[in-house]
Amino acid sequence: MVWFIGVDVGGTFTDFYAFDDEGAGRERVHKTLSTPDNPARAILGGLDALCRAEAIEPAKIGRLGHGTTVATNALIQRRGAKVALVTTAGFRDLLEIGRQTRPRMYDLKADYPPPLVPRERRFEIRERIGPRGEVVEPLNADAVDGAVAQVRASGAEACAVCLLFGFLDPAHERRIGAALRAALPGLHLSLSSDVRPEFREFERFSTTVQNAYLQPALSRYMRDLAEGLAERAPKALIGINQSSGGLMSVARAGDYPIRTALSGPAAGAVGAVHIGKLAGRPDVITLDMGGTSADVCLIRDHRAGINNEQEVAGFPVRLPMVDINTIGAGGGSIAWFDRDGLLKVGPESAGAEPGPACYGRGGERPTVSDANLVLGRLSPRGLLGGAMALDAAAARRAIAPVAVRLGFTLERTAHGILGIVAANMVRAIRAVSVERGHDPRRFSLLAMGGAGPLHAADVARALGMKEIVVPPAPGILCAQGLVVSDLKEDFVTSGRYPVAAEARAPVMAAIEGLAREARGWAAESAGDAIGHSIELSFDMRYVGQNFELRVALGESKDAAHVPAIPDAAALRRLFFAAHERSYGFHNPDDAVEIVNIRLTAHGRLRQPGATAQEAAPASAPDPVETRPVWFAADAATAAPVFDRRALHPGHVLEGPAVIDQLDATTIVFPGDRARVDGYGNLLLELAP
Amino acid sequence: MTRNDAALDAVTLEILFNALRSVTDETFIALMRSAYSTNIKERRDHSTAICDRDGRLIVQAESSLPIHLASMIGMMAALRAKFPMQEIAEGDIFVANDPHAAGGTHLPDINMAMPVFAEGRIVAFMCNIAHHADVGGMAPGSMAGGMSEIYQEGIRIPVVRLFRRGELQRDILNLLLLNVRLPEERRGDYYAQISACRLGARRLLEIAGQYGAAVVERGFQDMIARTERRMRDAVAAIPDGVYRFADVMDDDGLGAIDIPIRLAVEVAGDRIRFDFTGTAPQVRGNVNVTLNATKASVCYSLKALLDPEVANNQGVLDVCEIVTERGSLLDCVAPSPVAARANTCQRIVDVVIGALKDALPDAAVGAANGANTTAVFAGRDPTTGRDYLYLETLGGGFGGRNDRDGKDGVQVHITNTSNLPVEAIEMEYPLRVVRYGLIEDSGGAGEFRGGLGLRRVIEPVAHDCVFNGAGERFRNAPWGIFGGGPGGMGRFLHVTGQGERTLDIKPSGIAVKAGEQIVVETPGAGGYGPPERRDAAALEEDRRSGKFSEEALRELYPSPLAGEDWGGG
Repeated sequence: MVWFIGVDVGGTFTDFYAFDDEGAGRERVHKTLSTPDNPARAILGGLDALCRAEAIEPAKIGRLGHGTTVATNALIQRRGAKVALVTTAGFRDLLEIGRQTRPRMYDLKADYPPPLVPRERRFEIRERIGPRGEVVEPLNADAVDGAVAQVRASGAEACAVCLLFGFLDPAHERRIGAALRAALPGLHLSLSSDVRPEFREFERFSTTVQNAYLQPALSRYMRDLAEGLAERAPKALIGINQSSGGLMSVARAGDYPIRTALSGPAAGAVGAVHIGKLAGRPDVITLDMGGTSADVCLIRDHRAGINNEQEVAGFPVRLPMVDINTIGAGGGSIAWFDRDGLLKVGPESAGAEPGPACYGRGGERPTVSDANLVLGRLSPRGLLGGAMALDAAAARRAIAPVAVRLGFTLERTAHGILGIVAANMVRAIRAVSVERGHDPRRFSLLAMGGAGPLHAADVARALGMKEIVVPPAPGILCAQGLVVSDLKEDFVTSGRYPVAAEARAPVMAAIEGLAREARGWAAESAGDAIGHSIELSFDMRYVGQNFELRVALGESKDAAHVPAIPDAAALRRLFFAAHERSYGFHNPDDAVEIVNIRLTAHGRLRQPGATAQEAAPASAPDPVETRPVWFAADAATAAPVFDRRALHPGHVLEGPAVIDQLDATTIVFPGDRARVDGYGNLLLELAP
Repeated sequence: MTRNDAALDAVTLEILFNALRSVTDETFIALMRSAYSTNIKERRDHSTAICDRDGRLIVQAESSLPIHLASMIGMMAALRAKFPMQEIAEGDIFVANDPHAAGGTHLPDINMAMPVFAEGRIVAFMCNIAHHADVGGMAPGSMAGGMSEIYQEGIRIPVVRLFRRGELQRDILNLLLLNVRLPEERRGDYYAQISACRLGARRLLEIAGQYGAAVVERGFQDMIARTERRMRDAVAAIPDGVYRFADVMDDDGLGAIDIPIRLAVEVAGDRIRFDFTGTAPQVRGNVNVTLNATKASVCYSLKALLDPEVANNQGVLDVCEIVTERGSLLDCVAPSPVAARANTCQRIVDVVIGALKDALPDAAVGAANGANTTAVFAGRDPTTGRDYLYLETLGGGFGGRNDRDGKDGVQVHITNTSNLPVEAIEMEYPLRVVRYGLIEDSGGAGEFRGGLGLRRVIEPVAHDCVFNGAGERFRNAPWGIFGGGPGGMGRFLHVTGQGERTLDIKPSGIAVKAGEQIVVETPGAGGYGPPERRDAAALEEDRRSGKFSEEALRELYPSPLAGEDWGGG
């Protein structure tokens, strides 16, 4: 028996998913309240409880994958460390000026958040590196001593060292770093050339400063977690999920906490990829809808899209992150009338407290969950198998004033609320699909989160999508994704390399530098991984343009080799094809250059085996009840309600039907049909 | 036209508009992706919109620029005046740019419009606008100062058909391209705009197919009516009266200085009238503004003051009644040059806010840096032997607000373009950015102080280059309101071995030798409220951050015990 465990720490709950790899694939799920002051406590306590309840021997835990929102929340709530910045003379305001833009054109009061390092802790140091990595002004020892004294006097717990062109020649940053480390042993240190050696200084500085801001708290948390787990489960490999959807070591997470900024949602994307593989669906769009927000993510050919340019809490983070679009649409989203009389839903949410009116905890404003209850889509018997009753009368009371103002029946009003929340999600999906050149009709919609399966049909139909996949446990897909994640590490170097035969040598030298780092990383993780691979890609552009396109150059099957580099002519062709794909044209005569070289190393971990179950006879089980459900605004239809636990591979249901389970409700519209595949996924085929 | 007499309900309309917003957002991104000009790709100097068959603006992409709103409406008016509806066919695409003959605001903004036919009739026009990197004329980039006629600024396009029933009119395109520098790149920009029109038309047809043309048309009408109502309700909350304000532009680069802009805002019930009578006549230099651009600047100001969230459609435009004198700075006639109209539009915004400050004290802000400070470096790269041209517009201070300080170093009002990273500049051009930061002491004093200006120091590396610039608020400081003090003014300096020399406000052809420097300093912004009411902690923060020197603080914030009355504003 070897247990693989995924732990997803959210703001409210810490979710566990345990999989017994050698014991017939048993799955266990556990939930406990999060402990934001020290998240390790909920993890260790929850793990103890899980082991006791399920008779799991801690020594038999082989792996623990961990996703965390601690970094995200610290940034949003601005509860990080006291940070100092050492930067090139003449540029201490750069962090504050940013891109000199405003977040909203027409709003005279809206500003980007102030920088995480106030001006008086931003120290300038005389030195200068030029655009070819040449030293324009050397760094002298007195200047270093001066900076060390300033940082010491500032009382900072962490320090970011961010120099212009530090990514081309890190020598100055390293000298300053070494001096700080020697003089101030307790100080946490982040060098821009370590955190993200990529050009465009503001984004690099911002990413580095955020890293420093998170270091003290995250490294404490990581240490507590590692010590606690070492006592309990000494054989467990602990992996921390990165925003790009791959695990890293606890030590690395403590050094580079900014890499966990989207750790939780990225785990959901990994879980979705996993479900897609089991269901044989390489192209899916996820709809992860919870209480306050919905995340959508496009997965193509079993890979989640990666974006290097995202914002977290209003700050740019220049790191590879799963491309997730989040909007304020959830079960708790509130319906309200705008000043022009149009009905809107969200982004304001009733949250968990007081929650929707139907929770009966004092909420009075109409929410999406109230609308679902009025329409019979949610069971009046309540959530969590009846453990949490819902108050239908309160839901109707909350929706009534909206109905009066619209001159609609309650049901038509509720239907309208659901139509609007679906339209908001449709727009979010269009942004990650149509607006990036992907036709959503070619994708399946993967419904996850507590509310995803309730709304998926409305959303899919509006987008012309033909199929919905509902995994067996839509509410814990993030924790499940953590169990199936591999190890991953990204390496990057910036420069300007013309795509020409004579520039081949410097490009090869740069790749060799990255490959050396990758091999070092592979050697460190050799004990855990069962195999390595290396992916290579270039960010390329036309000379004179200031935006790049990623051109993938293939993947090697071990860590010793790097994928072969095509010659200049072939590279140009690859770039032209990418330009054509993204922009609809290319110019064959213009000069092309490489500006970033990226290498991603994967360390494959042994994955839990999953085998398809035998299909049961095609007859469906008996419904547990029949209840009136308003699929349309004007009339209710008697719909049979099924218990998800009674559905087995091979079962087929014709809509109308409702499928209830502990953490989610799935709606099957009249004319649609649901089938259970060999892995317990529900595949909903939508009527044309 | 079929009329659907019942107004759409608040749910259907919301969902319909959500779909229409998706169309403009999708075309906005498609245009950005497929365009060639850096202006479009990086600075997003483009917009997309849907207009109804009467040329009324229905919905604009979320990231559209305020000033583009004007050109779209302007082009639609010119199009409708010139082409009877029955002569417009499916597959036609119209193109225009001229400020005097085709409703544009300056020549580099190329406008396109394509009719969308559903159920046998025109239901809408898909419109877009993009700032091309060059449209010909005397100087590369078609934005330089020093010209006194629009003919010198580039090719003028009245409203013409670029496509006739789906057929590209090659003669027209050839004519357009022969008149611009780098025609191959501009061809890419034109094609990007054409495909954005067609993509939008396709999407709009899908929506019309789903709802029916009559419902879509009814939706257009309802949306405008609801927006207008919403704006009028907000206007009605402004106390009735006449509110006046005046300010001056520094200069036009050709000798005219302190050019006045005068405004009387008359509010009566839910009507608001902006009367610019008394504003200077149009000038020889390129800071003139066409009526449409004036309208766009007024609409921006009113929306920002009253309701930043309101939808951007004809309903907003309809609320703003505007009176100007034909041939004045804000309603110029041919052949006046207009390339740098953005500087004047910024001043219009300041003047509108200044006029309404007493009526809307919580929404008003101190005068912002009020400019589009432009710095252009040109020369030949000594290592590659190739010519280069580096253009940048810099932000400055944002005015103090009723509950917080003005933001330091930021683009304001109608401009929101990004800077170019220092590392990108130095990798791209033989230039060194010596420093880039905030200008200490440049924020106007106040209970809530004005934002600081920016300073960028640039030197050519191992070669000589030429500098051109355009500044505003270099001789007339950005004022504060309600007792707030003025912000610092901007300037251009040329630093040589002999010392430093202050350049003109709109300098051109300045030879800069290797090792010499150009210093660009942008204006700060005015403060809000009397300085003696400034919170002690905020003052301490000004001191601790080093954004203000001890001397400046002593001078700007006399001891509260002194209790002096600040006046000004």
